[in-house]
Amino acid sequence: MVRSSPSSSSEPVPATAPTPRVTAKRRRRRSPRSRSRLGSSRIFLIWLLLLSVCGGLGWRLYGLQMVEAPQLAKRARQQQMIYMRPFIPRRTIIDRNGNILATDRLVYTLYAHPSLFKQDPEAIAQKLAPILRQEGSKLRKKLGEAETGLALGHKLSEESADRVRELQIDGLELIRQYGRLYPQQELAADVVGYVDVDHKGQAGLEYSQEELLERDVRTLYMSRAGNGALMPDHLPEGFLGFDQQQLQLTLDMRLQRVARSLLKTQISKYRAKRGAIIVMDVNDGSLLALVCEPTFDPNAYSQFDIQLFKNWAVTDLYEPGSTFKPINMAIALEQEAIAADELFFDQGRIEIDTWEIANHDYKQAGGRGNLNLGQILVHSSNVAMVDLVQQMTPEAYYAGLEQLNLTGKLGVELPGAGAGQLKSAQQFINSPVEPATTAFGQGFSLTPLKLAQLHAAIANGGRLVRPHVLVGLQDSQTSPPPTPNDRDVKRIFSPETTQIVLKAMAQVMNSSGKAAQVPGYRMAGKSGTSQKASPTGGYYKDIKITSFVATFPLESPQYLVLAVIDEPKGKDIFGSTVAAPLVKSVAEALIAIEGLPPSAP
Amino acid sequence: MQRVYRERAAWHNWIADWDNLDVVLILLVSGLTFFGGLAIQSTEVSQKLGFAGHCWQHWLLGIFGVGLALFIARCRYEVLIQWHWVIYGLTNASLLAIKLGFGVNVNGSDRWLNILGFNVQPSEFAKVGLIITLAALLHTRPASTLPGIFRTLAIMSVPWVLVFSQPDLGTSLVFAAIAIGMLYWANAHPGWLVLMIGPLGSAITYGLSKPIWAGWIGVMVLVAWFSLPSPWKRLGAILVMVGNGIFGFLGQYFWTKVLEPYQKARLTLFLAPENDPLGGGYHLIQSRIAIGAGQLWGRGPFQGTQTQLDFIPEQHTDFIFSAVGEELGFIGSIALLIVFWLIALRLIIIAQNAKENFGSLLAIGVLSMIVFQVVINISMTIGLAPITGLPLPWMSYGRSALLTNFIALGLVESVANHRPRMMNFRR
Repeated sequence: MVRSSPSSSSEPVPATAPTPRVTAKRRRRRSPRSRSRLGSSRIFLIWLLLLSVCGGLGWRLYGLQMVEAPQLAKRARQQQMIYMRPFIPRRTIIDRNGNILATDRLVYTLYAHPSLFKQDPEAIAQKLAPILRQEGSKLRKKLGEAETGLALGHKLSEESADRVRELQIDGLELIRQYGRLYPQQELAADVVGYVDVDHKGQAGLEYSQEELLERDVRTLYMSRAGNGALMPDHLPEGFLGFDQQQLQLTLDMRLQRVARSLLKTQISKYRAKRGAIIVMDVNDGSLLALVCEPTFDPNAYSQFDIQLFKNWAVTDLYEPGSTFKPINMAIALEQEAIAADELFFDQGRIEIDTWEIANHDYKQAGGRGNLNLGQILVHSSNVAMVDLVQQMTPEAYYAGLEQLNLTGKLGVELPGAGAGQLKSAQQFINSPVEPATTAFGQGFSLTPLKLAQLHAAIANGGRLVRPHVLVGLQDSQTSPPPTPNDRDVKRIFSPETTQIVLKAMAQVMNSSGKAAQVPGYRMAGKSGTSQKASPTGGYYKDIKITSFVATFPLESPQYLVLAVIDEPKGKDIFGSTVAAPLVKSVAEALIAIEGLPPSAP
Repeated sequence: MQRVYRERAAWHNWIADWDNLDVVLILLVSGLTFFGGLAIQSTEVSQKLGFAGHCWQHWLLGIFGVGLALFIARCRYEVLIQWHWVIYGLTNASLLAIKLGFGVNVNGSDRWLNILGFNVQPSEFAKVGLIITLAALLHTRPASTLPGIFRTLAIMSVPWVLVFSQPDLGTSLVFAAIAIGMLYWANAHPGWLVLMIGPLGSAITYGLSKPIWAGWIGVMVLVAWFSLPSPWKRLGAILVMVGNGIFGFLGQYFWTKVLEPYQKARLTLFLAPENDPLGGGYHLIQSRIAIGAGQLWGRGPFQGTQTQLDFIPEQHTDFIFSAVGEELGFIGSIALLIVFWLIALRLIIIAQNAKENFGSLLAIGVLSMIVFQVVINISMTIGLAPITGLPLPWMSYGRSALLTNFIALGLVESVANHRPRMMNFRR
């Protein structure tokens, strides 16, 4: 069976092809039904074609499924998954009375794509100008900046967006998103914080309570079908039960407003660097007001210094000075190192380890002789305090300080809460000057909020309550859930001890603390004026931080007001002159708001 | 005893008619059809159609198709030589019926005829009609002479024009592929075949760049000079030059004046589908994403997210390969290519062993048809060719196309079945 003929010819016509005419005739004469003679030598080209085509397809498949595969798989995921996050509003933050501090609302960003314009850009700019409240000429200029993707307006309201839509201009695009609105502006900014353009909390509770504020759908994503339909295959259970919970704070905006405006006035009056006011319920640690000045407007956070985004009353440490004296008394009383009616000698000035310790008014008043606890506080005698703490061994005193949890966590919900600093036990015990300076509140540091917590303990019978600003999540439709109580509150002083200290502090209000006294109400208080420590060691002579803390009503203390003014300038700069009037005004406002009856005469 | 023997003999005689059947080819095609059904099923899992789904229709028609092919394999295919004018006439008549407006509108195009309640797509059956017609023509007069070629081309031009003007560009290209494959097998001079596609190249290159176009014409003239027999050389070369020149202008005219923008986009978008991601490029982009997302091993049967989430419209027809690529990955895609390659291998073997030219040409015609459709279809899903509407043989859903492919398979099996039995002494 011969099926192939030799292809030796060099003719352009392939040898297998019967040469025209002659052989064709001869071939036809043979039976047309004879075995096929076609193709045999042509098979090579067919194989070549098949192989190259298969190779080409295989190569391209290799490129797609091996080389480009990761990107393509990513693109598939991207177009199939829809993250629902941008479309679910962040929880509203409200104060204790339900006033809205932060809320999400629908806003629109207007983009222009000039390449798609079918009208004159000039006309478009003129039409948009009044809606966007921008100048037409500026808009016109902006429209020439790029072919596509020009952001013309941010945070447009629903009404503005509707007006833009009504214009029916091709090439404009409105992107709907949630914008965070802070209707109280700067009022609670140092507590609430702010969210950035991506709706992520960047300061305050917005940052620290992200998990509470984001509804439980942060990981919610859905598959998107080719026609845009959403497939519910990844939906978490209970998704449709969209909760209406809001994050409630313990703050009272009325009080916050009063405190802030007073603080502003006082800071500008004394050209102070900054100030803070804390109002706390001494029985549970809830904060009714927490104000720092200067602060920022969270609606326009980008225009403010980044330093302002923290709440320095919570984050920054300072040496408390005389406001710490009542705490030291409580420690000594608690250890039964002193008695309630004991007298302490004040010679006006003493020397310890070559360090001179004098009363602030030594030059005018000299030594005062024997003083009882109340008198020590009234005169704010440093020397008598040194005598007082020396009734304890340094070890016992240090143990008493450690009981206060000065260096531990405060537990407040705000970010960046600072832990206090105390000298090491070794240094404290071996160097006699350390207990001596600690006696009048220098040589260690704590945050204003920590000081408030300690004074709250004096006021509430010795319990170290956790300062907090959160009530918790509550449903706006139903009644608020009971405030979560801290069951295991540490007790640092006995009620007897705190009664003695309170009584001593009450005497302050009749003399040096008069500026803080609200007529008709019995209060306990203490001023503090401390020199600021210099970073190079030692203390600045004339850079001070002044404070005043008061608790009332004395019969059954309920509220604490602490005012701190950092670096006030001028004459007569003391806690009793700079901070005390603030405490008084805030206390008055608090009395009015809470409707507290005056003390029995 | 006697009776048992006779019964066995009867049974043997009955089965004996399939003695030379190419079983491998039948099995490959049956497996492919079953697999195609699975792939179709995967594109429709989310719709929960059950027996009403395209998958079951595909399988039922597949079973019928295998039966039909086995039946045709028993018949003597040579009979068709006498009937080829009738087949040619029927083919043209059915295509003409579409042209004259008897078509039924399905999915927005009038390519279907309603015959006895079934919607039939004549352009699919016309492929087999053309193969039989060309095989018969080239059997009696091979393409080794110019008059033979012209005669063949003239006869073929009638159904080609009818299909092209439907307009059904994809099928007209299949016709061209079938014709070129068969002419080549029928000893046509390769140079002449090159000259046949010359005008198309001229029309394309004219629009791309004039120097390339001029070069193309030059090459064509050279091919004509060296391939045409001597008395035709001069005239032929001149005709080729003028013809190609005219086609260059014609192509430009078509491109700028006749074709609608969307038609032009359809032809060029595959080069850069990102230019129209939501319009004409959508299919191409989504198909490429799906196949690429399959990576090496695929996302698993019925697990392809592009497929399951319906990102590729009408995936069960022309874009079925994207489902395979996504769910079975590179491995699955290559396996499918190998199956098609094996089918091509069997077809070539049948073509070589056929008892005469007619059978051999039939096999090559079917080979051309299958290979061209496979290559263009897969190329289209992976971004190497424009969307032409060609189905993937035995895989894509499409009843007329599936039946056509099984008839073609039957014809080829008949060729295999009736090949000379050299060493068979059983009879």
